Amino acid sequence: MAKTYDYLFKLLLIGDSGVGKTCLLFRFSEDAFNTTFISTIGIDFKIRTIELDGKKIKLQIWDTAGQERFRTITTAYYRGAMGIMLVYDITNEKSFDNIKNWIRNIEEHASSDVERMILGNKCDMNDKRQVSKERGEKLAIDYGIKFLETSAKSSTNVEEAFFTLARDIMTKLNRKMNDSNSSGAGGPVKITESRSKKTSFFRCSLL
Amino acid sequence: MAESCEALGTVPEHERILQEIESTDTACVGPTLRSVYDDQPNAHKKFMEKLDACIRNHDKEIEKMCNFHHQGFVDAITELLKVRADAEKLKVTDTNRRFQDAGKEVIIQTEDIIRCRIQQRNITTVVEKLQLCLPVLEMYSKLKEQMSMKRYYSALKTMEQLENVYFPRVSQYRFCQLMMETLPKLREDMMNYCMSDLTYGLESIRKHSDKIGEAAMKQAQQQKSFSVALQKQNNMRFGKNMHVNNDRILEEKSDVIPKHALEEEAENDEEVLTVQDLVDFSPVYRCLHIYSALGDEETFENYYRKQRKKQARLVLQPQSSVHETVDGYRRYFTQIVGFFVVEDHILHVTQGLVTRVYTEELWNMALSKIIAVLRAHSSYCTDPDLVLELKNLIVIFADTLQGYGFPVNRLFDLLFEIRDQYNETLLKKWAGIFRDIFEEDNYSPIPIGSEEEYKVVISRFPFQDPDLEKQSFPKKFPMSQSVPLIYIQVKEFIYASLKFSESLHRSSTEIDDMLRKSTNLLLTRILSSCLLNLIRKPHIGLTELVQIIINTTHLEQACKYLEDFITNITNISQETVHTTRLYGLSTFKDARHAAEGEIYTKLNQKIDEFVQLADYDWTMAESDGRASGYLMDLINFLRSIFQVFTHLPGKVAQTACMSACQHLSTSLMQMLLDSELKQISMGAVQQFNLDVIQCELFASSEPVPGFQGDTLQLAFIDLRQLLDLFMVWDWSTYLADYGQPASKYLRVNPHAALTLLEKMKDTSKKNNIFAQFRKNDRDRQKLIETVVRQLRGLVTGMSQHT
Repeated sequence: MAKTYDYLFKLLLIGDSGVGKTCLLFRFSEDAFNTTFISTIGIDFKIRTIELDGKKIKLQIWDTAGQERFRTITTAYYRGAMGIMLVYDITNEKSFDNIKNWIRNIEEHASSDVERMILGNKCDMNDKRQVSKERGEKLAIDYGIKFLETSAKSSTNVEEAFFTLARDIMTKLNRKMNDSNSSGAGGPVKITESRSKKTSFFRCSLL
Repeated sequence: MAESCEALGTVPEHERILQEIESTDTACVGPTLRSVYDDQPNAHKKFMEKLDACIRNHDKEIEKMCNFHHQGFVDAITELLKVRADAEKLKVTDTNRRFQDAGKEVIIQTEDIIRCRIQQRNITTVVEKLQLCLPVLEMYSKLKEQMSMKRYYSALKTMEQLENVYFPRVSQYRFCQLMMETLPKLREDMMNYCMSDLTYGLESIRKHSDKIGEAAMKQAQQQKSFSVALQKQNNMRFGKNMHVNNDRILEEKSDVIPKHALEEEAENDEEVLTVQDLVDFSPVYRCLHIYSALGDEETFENYYRKQRKKQARLVLQPQSSVHETVDGYRRYFTQIVGFFVVEDHILHVTQGLVTRVYTEELWNMALSKIIAVLRAHSSYCTDPDLVLELKNLIVIFADTLQGYGFPVNRLFDLLFEIRDQYNETLLKKWAGIFRDIFEEDNYSPIPIGSEEEYKVVISRFPFQDPDLEKQSFPKKFPMSQSVPLIYIQVKEFIYASLKFSESLHRSSTEIDDMLRKSTNLLLTRILSSCLLNLIRKPHIGLTELVQIIINTTHLEQACKYLEDFITNITNISQETVHTTRLYGLSTFKDARHAAEGEIYTKLNQKIDEFVQLADYDWTMAESDGRASGYLMDLINFLRSIFQVFTHLPGKVAQTACMSACQHLSTSLMQMLLDSELKQISMGAVQQFNLDVIQCELFASSEPVPGFQGDTLQLAFIDLRQLLDLFMVWDWSTYLADYGQPASKYLRVNPHAALTLLEKMKDTSKKNNIFAQFRKNDRDRQKLIETVVRQLRGLVTGMSQHT
């Protein structure tokens, strides 16, 4: 079977239960919104193919259950993620406070070079806002992470969030490839290094 | 003797009249004199003055005439004197002289007498004539006055007197003839005016019909409420009430309200408006009397009936928007009731104007029209509450008219059609309700934090589970929020459906049967459709599907409580042979099967998405020693799925797991045999084998409890044997044992083997460039070609056999 994509990027959505992770994914992959809150059980994923710099990028986006009882299952997927979105609800201060805990989880279970991004969701509900945009921005700066406020309902910044994360992963990948080429230029065991580079290039898997 | 009077220069009209009198025979002086009264109010007086003047004028004429004849008189006397001379000769001179002296005085007196007598005779004649004519003129004047004051019946009597008594006395006069000629026109005017008055009267009746109808329907409704309340106490009292009811009906039809009726009204503290209180019937009565007196009853009857039929058609023609509100229907019904109450009233208070046959004919026509209208307009109703109110109105309408003796069976027949219509609108309404419930469900087990919350759920849905009951809080019901909501709504539907049967005089058995049929329709058509639409929603997730399976299981178990619910409502024994059973069971089974199928479909779609991520290097020299990343993700995903859906019923989980494994196996096989894939190296086969090993490990790890032995691994047996054949390169065994039950490679399809081998043969050719393996390659190539030939033979044989 011929491959239909150039790269596979695995992304992960994490955050408290009810902040809108599934809704963000649903908006991005199906461009639809469901007002009823249906709690995610365990793990789910959706795939969408985008194009960056002329390359077809297949985004496999894992949607995790925010409830504590599924933590064991969802944590197993951190290792394979190339990008992680930490989502909180601007109308729920507790979910924002818990972002620190989620970041700690990432540091413990994910790859050290994983790309991260913080999203403050439900920004369409400004009348019920409990977390100002400035506080979200500051938290992201403290951790050296990008930040966006989104609304899955009004389709605000959703595409931008996923494309930004994908672009950052692509940038990092290109940088690693350049480093690999440079180091292999004068090496005596050229064939071995070349094969290793090829594997890394096509596999796009960190498992 | 008559001569024209000389003009005296006063009122010219009177001159003309006087001339006309002198020039006309006395028999025709009437019409001439009539005109005197037609003129100004004091014309009579002036005329009399004029008449006196004319008389004096005539006296002068007489004097002139006497003077004219004086000479003749003198001559006569002279001759008489000559006779006297002769008489003296006869010796009677002295006697003659005495006679002459005495006669002189007499002659003078006689002349005066003659003048006076003539004058007196003229005067007497005039007086006599006038005395005959004046009463006629007075009566005519009276007639005119009565006509102008619209007292037509009195006018009619006056006219009759004129014709029968007065006109014969003066029939010789022209004025009398003129008067007689005007009577037919007066009659016609009278009839026309009465008809016009009747038209206005009928219009007034029509305008008040809705008030009449409203009062009648309200009264019938009160009677019904009272009867129902009374019937609950005792039947004897009810019988007495019937008597009272009859009295009221009679009371409404009578002109005089009996004293005891008045007392009853006082007791009721309610004013009972009779027809006559609301409508003025006098135009009808007046017109009827006048036409009867004129002997033209038939014309009046025809006109009245014609007009009322027109009004009936108007009343029966509803406004185009009548079906939008219950008030529209109410106005429609009250107008019709009012119309027929009026007809019934007139039937009873008149003689022959309205007959029973006529009213029944009119009612039958009306009933057909009413039914057609209701049939057409009710079909536009989409609100079950409106249909229900319409039904109540129809019942009151029917009861009201039945009370007046009109047959209404066809209306009750229509109500059954409307009941079907009502049930249709209910079904549509409940379809919306069910959709909303499913839309708002979160498809999670209902969490319970306290005993109170537990009891709330138990009170709404008949859930029984001793184990759950013993658990400590917090705990969860297995079903989600939609289950008790749907159960409640099904009961609400039964109540709503039952409402229509009230007041329809149906037996409990019929009601029970109808309720079960309606409920079956709700479950098998509406709820079933909503469930299937929900299950087939494009974006429904595994979470929802799993919960739906659990939900339908509990709803299915609750169906027997719904049957008990209906039984309690209708008091029909469960043992009754005619009782219809609820078919909801099949609804929930079908929905569950659909949900299960959808789960399998969704899982397979997820597997397909993973397979599309496969990135094998089909020409790799050797495997990297680890299973492919995409496949590990896939296996982990499946493991997670079956791990979290522990509440999925066992058989469903097993079937889902088996379905997933079979689908995965089929996908991998197709990938290997894909015609787009031209070359496969042994290294690629080895890598592929590592992936299949992972699948087999998953299958043997019992991801779902309950599988027997290696049942799940059988899903991958085809792949396993094919790969073993190639990796062991055991062609002699395969070909020698082909077709035998005990073959190691029993499940290897020759076609598949051939396809894969040909992909590898091409790879082998490339290796020919390596001189150091020349001899081995040649031998291997020959072996491959031999095997290919054998496999083609097998494939051909299979084709021929097929």
